[in-house]
Amino acid sequence: MPAAPRAASRLLLGALVLAAVLVWPLLIEDQFYQRVGALVMLAALSASAWNLVGGYAGQISIGHVLFFGCGAYASLLGFTWFEWAPILGAPFGVAVSLLLALVVGRPTLRLKGHYFSMATIALAELARIIVTNTPILGGAVGVSGPAMPRSVLDLSFISPLPYYYIFGGVLGVLLLFTWWMSRSRMGFYLRAIRGQERAARSLGVPAERYKMYALLASAGFTSLAGSLYAAMLGFVDPDSGLGILLSVKMVIAAALGGAGTLFGPLVGAAILVPLEEITNAMFGGSGTGVTYVVYGAIIVFISRFAPGGLAEILSRLKAWRARHAG
Amino acid sequence: MPADAPLLEARDIVVAFGSFRAVDGASLSIGKGEIIGLIGPNGAGKSTFFNCLAGDRQPASGTIMLRGHDVTRATPEEHARLGLARSWQVPAVFDDLSVLENVMVGAFLRHPRTADAVAAAEKVIDFTGLRPIAAARSGSLGTPARKRLEIARALATEPEILLLDEALAGLTPTEVRAAIELVRRIHARGITLVIVEHVMEVILSLANRAVVFHQGKVIAQGAPKDVVQDPGVIEAYLGRSLNRKARA
Repeated sequence: MPAAPRAASRLLLGALVLAAVLVWPLLIEDQFYQRVGALVMLAALSASAWNLVGGYAGQISIGHVLFFGCGAYASLLGFTWFEWAPILGAPFGVAVSLLLALVVGRPTLRLKGHYFSMATIALAELARIIVTNTPILGGAVGVSGPAMPRSVLDLSFISPLPYYYIFGGVLGVLLLFTWWMSRSRMGFYLRAIRGQERAARSLGVPAERYKMYALLASAGFTSLAGSLYAAMLGFVDPDSGLGILLSVKMVIAAALGGAGTLFGPLVGAAILVPLEEITNAMFGGSGTGVTYVVYGAIIVFISRFAPGGLAEILSRLKAWRARHAG
Repeated sequence: MPADAPLLEARDIVVAFGSFRAVDGASLSIGKGEIIGLIGPNGAGKSTFFNCLAGDRQPASGTIMLRGHDVTRATPEEHARLGLARSWQVPAVFDDLSVLENVMVGAFLRHPRTADAVAAAEKVIDFTGLRPIAAARSGSLGTPARKRLEIARALATEPEILLLDEALAGLTPTEVRAAIELVRRIHARGITLVIVEHVMEVILSLANRAVVFHQGKVIAQGAPKDVVQDPGVIEAYLGRSLNRKARA
């Protein structure tokens, strides 16, 4: 196919997908599916935020829940302490997350490969234990948002639809940022660092500084996702806000769709979240175990057959088709 | 910096691994426009010394000056900014990036805007003859193309001095000739070169000064054809001749 029609058809396809994403919740009455849609958006948001440092820069953090929890707790603690609308706490959550990223990133980003991942797990678990044992932060019980919405600022809606569009809007901003970054010097430098850090540095890439930039951007957006999540749920405790499984979910969603690609985390979230919600609905409380079995199977599948995720499978298919067509 | 000062100068470099001194007080002064051939038997310390020059290893003692700046403890990225580039013995290309994108990573050093980096990288692609494979994913390339890509990527940082670590090893005779021709054209652009190489033929045809390493020290240097006839050098490579040993 010549270049111009191909670009036009891709644009058309993109517009159609965007329209479908915007319109489908309005066409479906069932609140269950609308809620799943909102949760997909939220998971896509946090996985895309993780993707900045975990995908593009290749620094596999399994402690991102630290930033997510910061955002969630900042929202609800703002309400608990000062009766603020939860979303007003979000900027504070972002500020604390950036500060934590600076402090935590300096030593950990020097670690390579698994050592970095393990350090991030340790830090996130440390945060969970500290919060669990600190009564003013809600302790093991957690903190709640307003029981009744006081104004629209509380972002407390009965219908999942507003959440779907709010999460989607923030996700849109993040994707635009990621797209811009991937085309700029920063995107190239991050991919170079992921490929061969030593070689990148000898080409003048200040690796430590750029990894820090990626971590800061990633932490900020992850924190925002946490704040939005808390506004929707109106409750957070150490498990739902700082549990390691949340970190793992971000990693799996990004890795399944394709880490280091623009839409990979979105695709991953769109597969994983419905899977989890539907198995939960089918098997009830006893079904939570099934979700983990599925996660385990996905991890094994990705690491054995397609470390690049579905994006890699797609490009392999394209190459195969090109070979057989020609 | 005075006009006649060396471009890159290493003084009394020592690198020790435990009690073993891989580089033991080596000094080398490189002037603008030279092609230096760094040779020596395996384990002579030339690669370790080379890594010190490139900023990838810090010596235990000694000083290294690059264009008048003390870079003994400087990071690799500071070396790059000051105009030093290198290739790796085992090619370290960015597998997920295309050939052009690999070169762009180097070009971004002097051209922060993407459009400028693309333009600069395109020029290097043409200069190094990588045009036919510019769009290929570099992970799919064979060794000769990877080695050439490494040189292209280093050139894109617009260096004053280029350090090549066995850039010609493992190539067929035809590929070696093409690579020698490329090195000559790089030199013609006014770029100073330091080459580590095992193939003596390459040193003889390219270098204007050969520097011989043995047991962590520089044991001889001078015009390549004189150096290879130096008895001390022959001894370092082959050991003492039986006749001389008998006489001694």
